[in-house]
Amino acid sequence: MNVSRRWLRAVAPGLDLSAGEIAARLAMRGAPVEGITDLAAEIAGVVIGRVERVRRHPDADRLSVCEVDGGNGTVQVVCGAPNVRAGACYPFVPVGAVLPGDLRIKRVRIRGQESRGMLCSARELGLGTDHRGILELAGQFDPGSPFAPTVGLDDHRLDVEVSPNRGDLLSHVGVARELVGEGGIRLADLPGAVEHELTVRTGSPAVDGASARVRIDDPRQCWRYMAAVVRGVRVGPSPEWLASRLRAAGAHPINNVVDATNYVLLELGQPLHAFDLARVAGPEIVVRGARGGETVRTLDGERRELDEGMLLICDPERALAIAGVMGGSESEIGEGTTDVLLECALFNPKGVRAVRRALGMSTDASHRFERGVDPAGLERAIRRTVSIIVATAGGEPAPTLLDACPRPWRAPVVTLRPERVGQLLGVGFDTGDIVKLLEPLGYRCRLAAGAIEVTVPGHRSYDTLREVDLVEEIARVHGYDRFPDSLGAFRPGTVPDDPLLRLHDRLRTILVGRGFLEAHTTAFAPAEEGEVEVLNPVSAEESHLRRTVLFGLLHAVEHNFARGAADIRLFDMGAVFGAGGSGGLPRETNRLAIAMTGRRRPHHWSAADRPWDEWELRGLAEELVAAVLPGECSAEPGTFDSTFFEEGYELLLRAADGSVVGGAGKVRADRVDAPVWAGPVWGLELELGDGVRRRPDPAFRPLPAFPAVERDLALLIPDSLPARQVLEFLERGGGADLAGVSVFDLFRGGDVPDGSRSVGFRLRFQSGRRTLTDKAVDRAVRRLIQRLKEEFGVEPRAGAADSGR
Amino acid sequence: MSEAGSLVDELRALEREARDAITGTSDPAALEQVRVAFLGRREGRVSRILRQLGGLGPEARPAVGAEANRVKQVLRGALEERERRFARERADTDTPARDLTLPGRDRWRGARHPVTLVVDEICDIFARLGFTRARGPEAETEWYNFVALNTPLDHPAADEQDTLYLKGGGLLRSHTSPVQIRILEQYRPPVRILAPGPAYRRDTWDATHAPAFFQIEGLAVDEGITFVDFKATLSEFARRFWGPGTRVRFRPGYFPFTEPSAEVDVKRRVVGADGSVEETAWLEVMGAGMVDPAVLDNVGIDPERYSGWAFGMGPARIAMLKYGISDIRTLYENDIRFLSQFA
Repeated sequence: MNVSRRWLRAVAPGLDLSAGEIAARLAMRGAPVEGITDLAAEIAGVVIGRVERVRRHPDADRLSVCEVDGGNGTVQVVCGAPNVRAGACYPFVPVGAVLPGDLRIKRVRIRGQESRGMLCSARELGLGTDHRGILELAGQFDPGSPFAPTVGLDDHRLDVEVSPNRGDLLSHVGVARELVGEGGIRLADLPGAVEHELTVRTGSPAVDGASARVRIDDPRQCWRYMAAVVRGVRVGPSPEWLASRLRAAGAHPINNVVDATNYVLLELGQPLHAFDLARVAGPEIVVRGARGGETVRTLDGERRELDEGMLLICDPERALAIAGVMGGSESEIGEGTTDVLLECALFNPKGVRAVRRALGMSTDASHRFERGVDPAGLERAIRRTVSIIVATAGGEPAPTLLDACPRPWRAPVVTLRPERVGQLLGVGFDTGDIVKLLEPLGYRCRLAAGAIEVTVPGHRSYDTLREVDLVEEIARVHGYDRFPDSLGAFRPGTVPDDPLLRLHDRLRTILVGRGFLEAHTTAFAPAEEGEVEVLNPVSAEESHLRRTVLFGLLHAVEHNFARGAADIRLFDMGAVFGAGGSGGLPRETNRLAIAMTGRRRPHHWSAADRPWDEWELRGLAEELVAAVLPGECSAEPGTFDSTFFEEGYELLLRAADGSVVGGAGKVRADRVDAPVWAGPVWGLELELGDGVRRRPDPAFRPLPAFPAVERDLALLIPDSLPARQVLEFLERGGGADLAGVSVFDLFRGGDVPDGSRSVGFRLRFQSGRRTLTDKAVDRAVRRLIQRLKEEFGVEPRAGAADSGR
Repeated sequence: MSEAGSLVDELRALEREARDAITGTSDPAALEQVRVAFLGRREGRVSRILRQLGGLGPEARPAVGAEANRVKQVLRGALEERERRFARERADTDTPARDLTLPGRDRWRGARHPVTLVVDEICDIFARLGFTRARGPEAETEWYNFVALNTPLDHPAADEQDTLYLKGGGLLRSHTSPVQIRILEQYRPPVRILAPGPAYRRDTWDATHAPAFFQIEGLAVDEGITFVDFKATLSEFARRFWGPGTRVRFRPGYFPFTEPSAEVDVKRRVVGADGSVEETAWLEVMGAGMVDPAVLDNVGIDPERYSGWAFGMGPARIAMLKYGISDIRTLYENDIRFLSQFA
């Protein structure tokens, strides 16, 4: 809402605050000011210029050569505006002055004619968007006098942010009420405006009079419709006081009739519409729902197709306007209009909202109707509009105001318990305090047994309907800053710390310790990377919800490749989405992904660099799975997501119960746009579940009292036999004293036959009951060798550093 | 026999020690030292034990001898393996003198995302004020995202958050506030929770907007919770997060699910290099308020008995203020030059 400070002072004569002070006070009342514009500052160099003579430019059809009196004698100015005419006054920028945007006016020649200055349009002065011609001022002014104060622009415009519940603040009177209270508001007399003796004739659903008729067919959507008729107007430009006030509030003057309705909209918050009475058949106004296939051409020139039931303002023959949203061009006020029918209505906010959303438009009127227009303010608004029209456009008002009112408004009454105020706010307010806080805003308080009966004024009747709403009003008017902020005692809550977020903490600690950087990717993905589609996406790249987290990380890897980074280690945790969850929602699960490429460590002068490889990946994968899930987890060759990993470099990660929880591998070349110098990219994706299944607390095992004995065993294993099978066989078959088996060496070549490799296993024997003798251990190893031979046909490598004896 | 037994034990201990020493070497010179120390003909520790063989009885001699030979063999193997490794790693470390001014061996340094740093810090402070963390789904229904939060879909307040809808039903939550409903449905008061997580709006990317952004929801519901508790707890948090001299301002605001509602601003004290103290401008840091009784009603909690307060905070914005980041897109590019700055 754009508010003019001069206008505010006009409706609140006691308001003696600067723009900055007003902003500070509004902020503490819940309506912060986003910006303050000093309307005069940017156009300080602009003066009034009167055009004395105009002649056609000898060498250009569209240009005129004008003699302009800018106060310092007459100068020649070349002008391109079609509307320039002799005798009129315009904003004029003499040579040397500056326009908004730091444009300094110089002496120039245009097509051979000298030009010393510039006549301006509203847009060039930052006063609006109108650029059809230069801004002609209505009336005569002293040439050379400063433009801004002469036309009332020595003013500040405040951009007030109004929350959706405060429709009452969408007017100068509403903002002023918040600043000075109801008692400080006075509607200023306007030049030439007088109160006319008009009588209201009320009826429902139809009412006659003033040789016109109003009928409401849809009282659910139209709660009240007032109409006035003014005959014999002369449509023309508004006087400067009216035009400049509109400009100061950011609106564009159109003509004296329309400007009067806009003036009242901005002053009182009541949208009004003026129809050319000659274009209203009957004349009769019918407020009804649209019929199927009906259309109306709105003021912006668009032909709008209407859905059945959308509320229209019609005459008996056709639709004239979309109720509460926009007027129609066929009944628009124009130069030839002599008789005017004024509409001042109250529409159902929800209906207006539904229609304007369906039509994809929003206007000053619909914005206010949606947020609630004061149901008690219609008569004042239509009377003031009639006065202004008669003052600026002449004519004679019909003596009857029509008032179709199927739903008379009654002020809501809310019961307020003073002890409830204290219970919620933590500070007690007695009845007298409460009355003093509420009444300036228009609430009327009546004391009843142990409570206050509060009558809510019309302008707050949409959002203050409950006791708690009044409690907020009391806190707001008292001032939030006046409540103490000493911390009291509290009881601990019943909600346990979320297990998944705790798991996130543990995983971050592990991965950050391993040198990984936490990335933040979003849940969006293009179509090929997701199953769940967004109905109204921001872009094609973000048209779906991701199926994997790794996809986004690989994007991040590409981003870093493109900036020359070769050593990249990233991880992220987040939700992924699939079709078919419960309750009509997608299936949502939580995952971790990592991606890494380049060297394992930063280069050091003492050693050669080593890149990440499958063994690093596998080790990390097992560590992460173990951190996520209880029990023994495993990794084995297999396909988790064939679209990511290269065949032969894929690992399937399994939980102890055998379920697949993720995959890891070397990312396929076609999945990452990598520069030639880049190393392979390794990736991992792991289901995190909900973090509830955790590994149990460790059960302490007494430390071994007897020494361990180790034996190394190098076995020739054919390539067709996975080493894991041999390893598991050794673990299972080594007897009760075998405490562990590890792989310590892998060797090919030399005396090892082709198609086989030598795998060195280190067997660790230890007993909890006795010191193992070499004999016993050797016997166990010999037995193992024998069974390996039988099971796999595997033999120890001759001459290797084994001690199997 | 016991003498033989202790020699065997000694040999095994030596074997372990020698193996560790071998794997601990970083260059051939060190490896040679280890070889001499253990297997050197005169002073080697294994050779010394072999020399004691003569003093043993004939029954004990073979056992100790065999063990000594085994250990020698194992160690020779390990030495060779280590030598082969050094040969492979063409290490050019032949500098005769040690120069400790040379840089040490660095490791990659990992880092949490700056938004995580802020989320963790906020959650830590609130944990000390008795809050636990909670979570809810990111794909939500209109009931949880709007209606249960006292935001009718035909009210202009629903426009303030331009929502992303999903084909097949549901929407992406436009704030973390649905977690309030999810938690209050599941747990009875007293409830003191913080719900960090992503939220989504139909915003196009620019310097201050992202279609996906982090939010932290806070909620306290119990008997006797008042506006004073609300102000006190959030002020306490602000002073712990932004420093003791921080001023906190509560302005009236509007959210459909809180009544009274507030916007919370902070003004920080900044100590300059010369010791001078300056105050920043007021910074808007959260939207908050007392839980609207309609919300409590919607989850079956009696608003006459219980009351509460809630807030929503944007840790991305707070991270940007804290670390001096001017463009929100920087947080989502995942440029490692950026992320490494938070190590």
